[in-house]
Amino acid sequence: MLKVENVDSGYDFLQVLWGINIEINRGEFVALIGPNGAGKTTTLRTISGLLKPKGGRIFFKDELISNLPPYEITHSGLSYVSEDLNLFVNMPVYENLLMGAYIIKDEKKIKQTMEYIYELFPRLAERKKQLAGTLSGGERKMLAIARGMMSNPEMLLVDEPSLGLAPYLVRNVFDALKTLHGEGLTILLVEQNVNATLDITDRAYIIEQGKIVLSGKSKDLARNEHVQNVYLGI
Amino acid sequence: MIKSTGKASTIARTLMSRTGFSSSGIILIAILAVLPFIPPFNSEYILRWLVVGAFMAAQAVAFDLTAGFINVVNFGFAAILGVGAYTSAILANTGPHIIVQPGISPWIGIFIGAFASAFLGFILGFLTLRLRGLYAAIMAWFVGIALLGLARTLTPLTRGSLGMSPPSFFDTPSNMPYYYLALGMMITIYIVTKLVTTSHIGLAFKALGQNFDAARASGINPTFYRVFNFTLSCFFAGLLGGFYAHYFVSMTPKAIMHTSKSVETLAIAFIGGRGFLWGGIVVAFPFVFLLEYLRSALPQLPGIHIIIYGVLMILVMIYYPNGVAGFITELKKKLWRLRKPEKT
Amino acid sequence: MKENTEVLKTLGDSILEYIKRKPAVPGAIAVTVVIAIIIGIAGGPAQVVNAIVAGGMWALLATGLTMILGVMNVPNFFHGESFMVGAYTAYFIFTPIHLYLMDNPNKFLSTIAPFAGFFAAAVIGFILGSILEKLVFYPLRSKTKERWVMNSFLLTVGVSYILSNGVNLVLGPNFRGIPRYWDVPPIKFFTIRLTVDRLFAFFLAMVVLLLLWYFMGKTRTGRAIRAVSQDEAGAAMVGININNIHTLTFSLGTSMAAIAGAALLFMFQAYPTVGLRPLYYAWYVVMLVGLGNVSAAVVGGFIVAFLQTATQQFFGIEWGEVVPTVVMMIVLIVAPSGIFGSEVKGIQEQ
Repeated sequence: MLKVENVDSGYDFLQVLWGINIEINRGEFVALIGPNGAGKTTTLRTISGLLKPKGGRIFFKDELISNLPPYEITHSGLSYVSEDLNLFVNMPVYENLLMGAYIIKDEKKIKQTMEYIYELFPRLAERKKQLAGTLSGGERKMLAIARGMMSNPEMLLVDEPSLGLAPYLVRNVFDALKTLHGEGLTILLVEQNVNATLDITDRAYIIEQGKIVLSGKSKDLARNEHVQNVYLGI
Repeated sequence: MIKSTGKASTIARTLMSRTGFSSSGIILIAILAVLPFIPPFNSEYILRWLVVGAFMAAQAVAFDLTAGFINVVNFGFAAILGVGAYTSAILANTGPHIIVQPGISPWIGIFIGAFASAFLGFILGFLTLRLRGLYAAIMAWFVGIALLGLARTLTPLTRGSLGMSPPSFFDTPSNMPYYYLALGMMITIYIVTKLVTTSHIGLAFKALGQNFDAARASGINPTFYRVFNFTLSCFFAGLLGGFYAHYFVSMTPKAIMHTSKSVETLAIAFIGGRGFLWGGIVVAFPFVFLLEYLRSALPQLPGIHIIIYGVLMILVMIYYPNGVAGFITELKKKLWRLRKPEKT
Repeated sequence: MKENTEVLKTLGDSILEYIKRKPAVPGAIAVTVVIAIIIGIAGGPAQVVNAIVAGGMWALLATGLTMILGVMNVPNFFHGESFMVGAYTAYFIFTPIHLYLMDNPNKFLSTIAPFAGFFAAAVIGFILGSILEKLVFYPLRSKTKERWVMNSFLLTVGVSYILSNGVNLVLGPNFRGIPRYWDVPPIKFFTIRLTVDRLFAFFLAMVVLLLLWYFMGKTRTGRAIRAVSQDEAGAAMVGININNIHTLTFSLGTSMAAIAGAALLFMFQAYPTVGLRPLYYAWYVVMLVGLGNVSAAVVGGFIVAFLQTATQQFFGIEWGEVVPTVVMMIVLIVAPSGIFGSEVKGIQEQ
């Protein structure tokens, strides 16, 4: 479904990614794991079009997307939940969700999705009319993921949803992702919380210093010596 | 002996580089100095353009000290220049049209005017102290509007919109002495600003201009440097205002203090290149010639020169933000690189 | 009895609390009311009505200005020229119709003729805004975002001088005005005589502001504009074409200024630099209430109008610019982000 081919990327004069290759099939739940500054966020920003790749190509559903502006990539069915969430802080929760459904014109469909989202995140239903800027950290993450879901994407890119959250909230967020995956959503998850991530994902890529160094089934990787030494601290 | 001459030439060279006179710069000054003797520049008509060129160039240098270094665009520049002009003009007045007749020589008045402008610059520096980029520019703009309004309303002193006719510097119809006066002022202003900006003060200016908070955190006192910068820039503005008064010998608030005059200076300084100081000098002369020519050749198109200023400024800002001076510097570097391998 | 005082006390406490938190808001409103009362006593109620009418217009102008500022971070210096373009458009549309009607009186046509001028001004303003955005600001935006606020401000300065001098070049410096839009006797209300033109100008400003409020709050595109002003990356992520929203916002802001120019043609005759004073007043409003604060701009419009009227009343018309400017300078020093608070992110940087 998503194919990242030899992608180089970075900021102005600083190259971060060197020949990244990632391939994700429909319905998979894949993790991208690596230390701080390895290029995880850069990878997601490049896929979502916020950064233009300096080399290589990206395909989504067999169509070249690496030359498209970010809003067209969203239109093609790829949704990105960024690390800093990029919520519309002066809008209430429900307006944030409405904005998430910006590319959908069918009002009935929007309403259905919104009901489904409220079911999935009852917390958000309670805070419907509260400004996004006044939500707690966990609620914001929920809202960002919910907003990403409002466009009925076929694939979701999620950047560090566990960052700065209390453990029980991390559990909540991961449960939500698992539910979404269970309903057929393809997910690429970037995480530093390696233990929990390898637990819920099918496959994983390990990125270090801008290169993919390892990939495979999450179960196998959890037993891999390098992964155990570096990430799991065993 | 050899050692001491070596030392002397090093000192000379450092002094030259600190005052910003490269060999090409000295050639440029030399050309400007002899220009009034070479036809067609020796006609009074064209000499007047040269005077305006030097006047505009000097303004651009003084303006760039604030805009190009501490990154505050002083939209009140023309108004403060006007304060210098009016101060000097009022002090020189002997006629019955306004309420005071001090009759002070323009040669003294121009400095008093400059100090008056410097004082206003000092105040403006304090007013904009806590304000960043846009806010500071708007504050300067408001100060300019208020000063223009004052010049219009204080009719007993300024005759308001009727304007004043101050006495001239020299008792001659020739433009020649004025040209050398303007050229001298331009060179002095350039040398002083260059000396200031190449010293540690200049470093502090740049630091404040690029990142105000980081500069302050690293121990640079923003109060001193910003106020100093404004005071110096406005002092020069006042000096040039005095020159305006006693050269053109007629002035109205709108003709010198209007925001559009600040914008003309801004256009020349920015097309010349922000933060280079000499960019404005390189641009001002050909510009004044081109535009004066247009004005005389196409009198049916009033204001065409301002349109050209505007279009050029927009093009430079979008496509070549370093301006003409940036272009020349880059060209020089490229030539230098081309020459170097041949030597070795 | 005791309960009542308790209630009053808590009410008083909460009001005090609010004043402590945002002392400028009730202060500004109180000052405005005091100024209004003073104007009313000294100059008669007609002056108050005139100030309210002017306030509506400054509100309209300032809203356009602050919208462009909030969404695009462009501090627009040629807003006055947009006003000027609107005034000229209305003049050139309305005058021929008016001349035709002098020979062929038609009551219905003369009632709706001014609307043709307003509508044309809105359309021309919109087109002008789109062209300028695509021609000037889009190239800069795609080149570099470094020092964007200052650079775009300087670009608008350039555009401002090109527009006013360009019009001067083509149409000359002559004043072009109309005596009035509607040739009907003024409305009398106790001692106040109000021309229909004035009344309608105020009415038009309020209608446009209401439409804008509805558009921004209730429509998909309006929400997208607000989204872009709050988080550009987020807006791109949900599928909004940022460039289109920028162009639309710019065109709307320009169009609003043009409508103001058209509606006030009976007061401000059209000439190349007619936009200067409206520009000052729009900026006063925006600086007063805080950059990018759209809803507060409406309140600010009235505050500035009262300030302006009071200045003319007590200092004379020639002080009309000096006193408000000095007041704004004080506001800038005391509260750089305005008395209602600024909503623009990143404008304090650099």
